[in-house]
Amino acid sequence: MRPRWQKVLSDIWDNKVRTLLVVLSIAVGVLAIGVIAGAYVIISHDMSVSYAAKNPANIEIRMDDFDEDFLNTLRDFDGVADVEGRRVFGMRARRVGDTAWKVLDIVAFKDFKANTINLLEPVRGVPAPEKGQIVLEKTVLEEISIAVGDELEVELPDGTTRRLEVVGVVLDSSTSAADFLAAPLAYITLDTAPSLGQPELYNRLYATLSEGQDDDAHIRAVFADLKDTIEKSGYDVGLTRRSKTHEHPLASIVNAVLGILMALGVLIVFLSSSLIANTLSALLQQHMRHIGVIKLIGGRNRQVFLMYLSLIFAFGVMALLIAVPLGGQGAYALAQFIADQMSFSLLGYRIVPISFVIQIAIGMLVPLVAGFVPVVRGTRVTVLQAISGDALRLQAGGPTRWERFQLRVTQALARRGIHVPRPLLISLRNTFRRRGRLALTLFTLTMGGAIFISVFNVRVTLNEYVRQVGNYFLADVTLDFERPYRLDEIRQYAMRLDGVTWVEGWAYASAEILYPDGTVADNINILAPPANSGLVSPLMISGRWITPQDRQKLVISEGIFDYYPDLKVGDTLPLKINAREEAWEVVGIFKFIGVEGILGYAPYEYIAAEQNLARRSYSYRLVAERHDRAYQKQLADRAAQAFRDWGFHVREAVPGLSTLDDASESLDILVTFLLIMALLTAVVGAMGLAGTMSMNVLERTREIGVMRAIGATDSAVMRMVITEGTLIGVISWGLAVVLSVPITYLLATIVSLAVFNTPITIVFTPLGYIIWIGLVLLLSAVSSVLPARNAARLTIREVLAYE
Amino acid sequence: MSETPLLERRAADVGAPLIEMRDIVKTFRNAAGEFTVLKGINLTVRRGEFVSVIGKSGSGKSTLLNMLTGIDHPTSGKVIVDGVDVYAMNESQRSLWRGRNLGIVFQFFQLLPMLTLLENVMLPMDYVGMYDFAERPERAMELLRMVGLEEHAHKLPQAVSTGQQQSTAIARALATDPPIIVADEPTGNLDTRASDRIIELFSELSRQGKTIVMVTHDPMMTRRTSRTVILTDGEVVNEAVAKALPLLPHPMMREVERRAEKRVYSPGELILRAQAPVEHFFIIVSGTVEVLHRRAGARTWRVAKLSAGDFFGEIELLRGGKAIASVRAADDGPVEVLVLSRQDFHWLMERSVLTEEAITRIVQQRLEEGRRARRPQGGILGGLFRREK
Repeated sequence: MRPRWQKVLSDIWDNKVRTLLVVLSIAVGVLAIGVIAGAYVIISHDMSVSYAAKNPANIEIRMDDFDEDFLNTLRDFDGVADVEGRRVFGMRARRVGDTAWKVLDIVAFKDFKANTINLLEPVRGVPAPEKGQIVLEKTVLEEISIAVGDELEVELPDGTTRRLEVVGVVLDSSTSAADFLAAPLAYITLDTAPSLGQPELYNRLYATLSEGQDDDAHIRAVFADLKDTIEKSGYDVGLTRRSKTHEHPLASIVNAVLGILMALGVLIVFLSSSLIANTLSALLQQHMRHIGVIKLIGGRNRQVFLMYLSLIFAFGVMALLIAVPLGGQGAYALAQFIADQMSFSLLGYRIVPISFVIQIAIGMLVPLVAGFVPVVRGTRVTVLQAISGDALRLQAGGPTRWERFQLRVTQALARRGIHVPRPLLISLRNTFRRRGRLALTLFTLTMGGAIFISVFNVRVTLNEYVRQVGNYFLADVTLDFERPYRLDEIRQYAMRLDGVTWVEGWAYASAEILYPDGTVADNINILAPPANSGLVSPLMISGRWITPQDRQKLVISEGIFDYYPDLKVGDTLPLKINAREEAWEVVGIFKFIGVEGILGYAPYEYIAAEQNLARRSYSYRLVAERHDRAYQKQLADRAAQAFRDWGFHVREAVPGLSTLDDASESLDILVTFLLIMALLTAVVGAMGLAGTMSMNVLERTREIGVMRAIGATDSAVMRMVITEGTLIGVISWGLAVVLSVPITYLLATIVSLAVFNTPITIVFTPLGYIIWIGLVLLLSAVSSVLPARNAARLTIREVLAYE
Repeated sequence: MSETPLLERRAADVGAPLIEMRDIVKTFRNAAGEFTVLKGINLTVRRGEFVSVIGKSGSGKSTLLNMLTGIDHPTSGKVIVDGVDVYAMNESQRSLWRGRNLGIVFQFFQLLPMLTLLENVMLPMDYVGMYDFAERPERAMELLRMVGLEEHAHKLPQAVSTGQQQSTAIARALATDPPIIVADEPTGNLDTRASDRIIELFSELSRQGKTIVMVTHDPMMTRRTSRTVILTDGEVVNEAVAKALPLLPHPMMREVERRAEKRVYSPGELILRAQAPVEHFFIIVSGTVEVLHRRAGARTWRVAKLSAGDFFGEIELLRGGKAIASVRAADDGPVEVLVLSRQDFHWLMERSVLTEEAITRIVQQRLEEGRRARRPQGGILGGLFRREK
């Protein structure tokens, strides 16, 4: 091997710490992009494939109870490939021996073997229960600590309990795929239903289409016909959903999150490239004398350039050896995590070729690009500059403007009697000596910090929005019955419960929003509280709230803009309600969560009368004297028990804030992703700082030796280095505080548009700022400790002999 | 503060040993093997001495200085400074000790570039916690005034000349008022004018009673010092040999020392008898000898006293004849001499033409002086010269 290539090899091998730093700097960017790109490809492919593989229903209709005969009449319905009926009902359940109840949605199948729609994937045990047995969806295990073979205790509407043997666990990717707030599912046979107080009848219809399963207009058309037929057959239709076969209902949200992660991944590559530029620049600085000697004995610029380019190339290859296998594993782990959260299964571990290619391209190109300028600058240095070292530096020009400014500040302070201790002055002035390096370090640390802080702001913003959405659900307990009861009667009983201060009966109607041509645009759920109810505090965008006199007038959520972008207050909206087409006037528009569908409010007085339920209701809102979670939960339990004892058919009693908790938990998953990325950027930032401090210490080895020679102890040297690192940390925090504002706006807007379909009001929290200052101080100190320890350990002979 | 009693004690101890290097061996190990740079150095520096250390490149001067300052560990041996065993402390304790007791001046000044001259001078006081915080700027300014840099006090090192930087480094070395100043080639990187200024500064410090140990190549500097230590191949050359035969190459000085026989004479003991044959060349290492002459029938009188670094017996060895004077140890103490045989003396003359020429020239001078004094010729008086300066 030629001597110059041997030099390249020894440059790699001799300074292992520096090699490790450069390789890790490259690897972290490559790893981040590999993980995210890999996960992106796996998720976007597997999510739709695995969803489609379960043959998801294109149409789901919640309706009055129906039997097998009626279901059979729909099997040959035009455009429908297959239909299935199921009974779905909510029940409280717990493991035998537990005290806490959890609400489960129990799905009853006529015949598991004949199941063709919304297929279940066995996880463990048997996938098909017999009479008296139950199979749990995987997510139940997160709520209830139970295993196959255990017994599940369910509570009937009359308060009695039944025990069912748990025989299996399944994954159901499709049944509640679109519902963020759905209760966990469990499965029984229809002949088990009577033992739970339920009839052997279906209440939910699932249909797949024979063609156009991914054509929204076609699905809508078939759905409208089907619903029409059902209603004409005398059945009332409740909530309905439409889905495409090859598009997971939450795909847009997942894609938005992956998009943000991808953006952060690209950012990390940028940050790591600044780290690489810094390290390579320092390396070239250290090699200045070598370059001088090479040139002195006849080496040309091109040869020196090629040597260092080869060195960088070698660093890239080593980084790839670390990052590519880890990236592949990480990508699958991230995809698996997301799949678990979204309840779908992956198609198995595999290498994603495009991610592989991207990683190699980044691992090779980014170091070359980042190292190009330092290498060109280093190779162009003259022999005299290269070998003069100190002597040339001593002849260099006078102090810079920045140095003069520092001196003036120190002198001004001194004139006021403020003398900064010299060791501290050294740290302060050292910080700004290599301003290019400082800028790159600050860039990485600031970006990490700004994103970290922003993630906390986004979290609070989302939660605050959810809390505001909670203004639509201000009741402490929602008490639903199996049949309607008179308002006076329920109020009279409810007020007998300790702590209850107010009771309201609400009505509910389901309708379809029609396009002007009469085709169905979307479903709308119309809630009907008493017009003067204090239990809704809407976020009005325009118009007014409901009044008791309103007839065919409603207040609607802004999701309507998806279908009627120019809709204004005062316009009329064609609705199909109770099988009749009516024109309703929009009197107000309010903010709401987009993915939860379109919501409307109309006065109870009108809706109840239309449904022949005047002065009666299925659903009641209870207000208590206390509003904390614990009290709400306790009141819900007490109310359910008491009304059952009084002979009422209670469906369920739900504490008010629990709905919000579920929503917040779902959002926390998003925030967790963001936080992981923020931490990754913070780690890159910390690595940058550690690298910078190592390089600073290395370059100032001689100065440290001089300090030791004139009396600086180990602790004085360490203090100096750590102070400098900490100062950089604090400056980056200040910059991060400023930068976090636009990043918060950007992230919050992207997330809120993806999740809520609407931009939301940004809220700032001091939490992120406080945690980050603590973290950045810690990271700075830790990043500086190792270089500081190394500096303190050097003997003066070593440092004075150091070149 | 505790500085004043220390100064008083230092004043009282002038002349007492301050630095003692005992059997210092330093061996470096690398892939090529072991290399012993210092081979059992014994050196004592007394309080108030101004010692220059000279030697060729690679002779071990800087390593010797590193041993003295506690900058590097000896492989074996001890360094005692003012009663303190330097290597009994750990590195950090040694830094603090060094800051209080040694002022170091480097060839390349080694000022910290981010601090002004004033701040550089204050830094050691900060590190070792000497003087009140508010007093430090005043003291640093006083030191800069002493080296003539008061008006540049607030400039960064790069804004002043190299000579001014070295003056600042000297001021910094004095910041904690250490009893010892150690300098490594302090004029090695300066022009003549700047060197003169620095030499003057060191002389002034010496006059003030500082103990100074300095590695230098500058003859101007060595002339100002009270003592010169020569290092060759990691060994200290006998100072008497160096003084007596200054034109010998350093390795030959060591060879002379090796070939010579060491003799000790009691006070008053006769070393050479007049009219007796002379077979040896004598170099006085310590003590004093008296040269006695007696004319026929007259009484004996002392014609000269010789001390360390002087030699005698060379004229008889060069020109033949018998001793015309007697030489005996003075009554005030024993005398240690290095004795070279006739054969070794001639070997020396053959190997060093410069030394032969110098001794021949001096012999002629002395003989001429003798004739002028109408004294008998061909005698011992030719040997009564001091080393050529």
